[in-house]
Amino acid sequence: MQELLDNLKELYALNGITLRNPSLAWAEVTPERLVGLLTQLRDAHGFTHLVLMTCVDWLEDGRFQVTYLLHNYTTRQDLGLHVYVGRTASELPSIHTLWEQGRVYQQELHEMFGIYFPGSPGLGEPMILESWDGPPPMRRDFDTRVYSEETYSHRQRTHHEPEQHMKDRLYPED
Amino acid sequence: MMRLQDILSPFYVWKRAFEKPFSIAVLSAPRPGSPTYRGFHQNDIDKCIGCGTCAEICQNVSIDMVPVKEAQDGDSGLRPRIDYGRCCWCALCVDICPTGSLTMSNAYTWVEEGLDRDVRETYCYTPGADPQPWDDEALGYRKPEGYELLHLERVPMPHLAPGERLNSFVEMVKGYSHELAVQEADRCIQCGICTATCPAHMNIPAYIKAIREDKIAEGLKILYETNPLPGVCGRICTRRCEDVCALSHRGEAISIRWLKRYLTDCASAEDYKALLESEIKPLDRKIAIIGAGPGGLSAAYYLAGMGYAVEIFEQNAAAGGMLRYGIPEYRLPYTKLDQDVAQIAALGVKFNYNACIGRDLSFDDLYNRFDAVFVSVGMFEPYRIGIPGDDNAKVISGLQLLSDVTNGVPVDLGRRVVVVGGGNVAMDAARTAKRLGCEVTVLYRRREVDMPADVEEIEEAREESVNFIFQAIPLEIKTADDGSLSFDWGKAEMVQQKPGERPQPILIEGSRENIAADTIIAAIGQGVNYLWMDGEASAKIELKKFRVQADRWGRTADTKIFIGGDMFNPTADAITAIADGHRSARAIDKMLNPPREN
Repeated sequence: MQELLDNLKELYALNGITLRNPSLAWAEVTPERLVGLLTQLRDAHGFTHLVLMTCVDWLEDGRFQVTYLLHNYTTRQDLGLHVYVGRTASELPSIHTLWEQGRVYQQELHEMFGIYFPGSPGLGEPMILESWDGPPPMRRDFDTRVYSEETYSHRQRTHHEPEQHMKDRLYPED
Repeated sequence: MMRLQDILSPFYVWKRAFEKPFSIAVLSAPRPGSPTYRGFHQNDIDKCIGCGTCAEICQNVSIDMVPVKEAQDGDSGLRPRIDYGRCCWCALCVDICPTGSLTMSNAYTWVEEGLDRDVRETYCYTPGADPQPWDDEALGYRKPEGYELLHLERVPMPHLAPGERLNSFVEMVKGYSHELAVQEADRCIQCGICTATCPAHMNIPAYIKAIREDKIAEGLKILYETNPLPGVCGRICTRRCEDVCALSHRGEAISIRWLKRYLTDCASAEDYKALLESEIKPLDRKIAIIGAGPGGLSAAYYLAGMGYAVEIFEQNAAAGGMLRYGIPEYRLPYTKLDQDVAQIAALGVKFNYNACIGRDLSFDDLYNRFDAVFVSVGMFEPYRIGIPGDDNAKVISGLQLLSDVTNGVPVDLGRRVVVVGGGNVAMDAARTAKRLGCEVTVLYRRREVDMPADVEEIEEAREESVNFIFQAIPLEIKTADDGSLSFDWGKAEMVQQKPGERPQPILIEGSRENIAADTIIAAIGQGVNYLWMDGEASAKIELKKFRVQADRWGRTADTKIFIGGDMFNPTADAITAIADGHRSARAIDKMLNPPREN
């Protein structure tokens, strides 16, 4: 794995290569080189399976970290690739042409984080958030409580504080 | 053309009708939850005290406290109502419940008939009050043993050892350090059940919170809102608040009294001074207060704070009343009382000492010179034992001993002292005699459990080697040949005379024992002195069974005269007197300074 990554390092400007164990490695790649790298890994190096795509919101750094996890069935190795993209007007190349199911992950990341993948089929259709009008809810600056209070109607609370209630009942004049 | 398969295929489905279904019949044959399943709640509403801790800890705001019973001491009457649209079944409410009344059954199915109601009004009930099929379900989640979210044990208060106490009148309770106080304050769940029980309705949760957050000045301010003698109450309060503390149901009550003491002990002179900084607008009205005990001091503080010109008339040479002359220094150091009195005097209250109304001054004079009179003379007339020989000069009252010690009058009790009585005055007199080097025996008519004295005082008296004789009825006091006293008493048996009433001690026929004593101290209670009721002004006041009649604001039949303190309330403790003073101050203000229209 080390050898493979060393070979690819220069061509695809890989960064932060970490070999966690002989069958798992991580590396960073820029959005521009992502599709080329994935194509080469899939077609020339046996990483034929896209295990998942996921995203972490590094709010404080102002960027998203999108992760692509690949698997090689022959060597039983996993390779994770991180791509960083800014939190505003976030856009990444679509990979649905490499793996068809990438379309679903991209639809989800678009819905939950607001990342745009040009050309990805059905990207704007809701996955679970039907008639959602708020910001993407997995962004960490989304305030669940504020949104739910503004959006939904609530059962009226009938709560009494014990101390005040006892005053009202037992010694209202004092 | 139609194929044979098209005709037959529906029947392939039909054959499944005779096979075992794959689906589960949930409603017609429900599967029970596991024995410790966290299902719908159960609440023992007689055990529940409505403290609202379940609602407080609920992370989903799914619990509302709603009125179910009448509020009373130690029970808000509220009970938790749970909204299962919000509940996430985490069971924190069960785990923290201070009484252990809230549990969960293993029932988990809810069938709602019809949909004619707003959906937001269903799936919600008050366990224990709204009947449910699982009310008697024995299985379900209970708080596991050995796991506790509350701190049930009190932070112990450091005391002087019994041996160290006997040589001096040094205060025996040492007080909490900062660390211990914060630790103790941290146990409080802030439910506020205690506030209603405190006669002065002190904002206990608020000042405990101030201690926890180390905001001493703020805490002191909270104390003074309802109690101008916090330094005193932090030491000798009867602390009925602790009796109803939510934590006392499964553990030990918060040491509310010692926390109050901590606040006043560590507040600085600047903190006390800061309390006086708010500007008082003087009113052209004068109030006279008779008696500088807790009732009179409290009324004076609040009236002066409202802008009235207040004068106190006190028969003794110093302020405090029973606090000074009835409570020994090892329980309440005079410096602490002086500090509280000084704070009241700093508001401009004028103290007239050695001024006994009815002897040095007349009540009529006060009545005419002032716009209102608040009377709080206390109960300073000791009852006599009422047996032959009780007029002997060596038979003194407990109060006499205590006030002599306060005044620094030399007392000679001899070696053997017998104290008659079972209240706090009896304990204080016995322990004071013990500190003066005497051998002390307490004689009490009833059993130990019947003693009106504080349990702590009885325990401490025992630690100090005071002897007790229970169910002992005094018979006669004679003078022996050597000049000492010979005290005859008889053994009593406890007889239940009327069902529901407490048993009465009845002398066993022919029983007669004897104890030798050099001094006998009678501490069987005190009455009110009515010396102040001279002249014409007090004529309108109504007396019933030797007590002045007044409403809960201390208003007597004469609109200018108000009363409070031991002579008025049945509990006769400092905190009730303080509450009386505060209430009467407000009533006086209402009378003299009615709120203007618009």
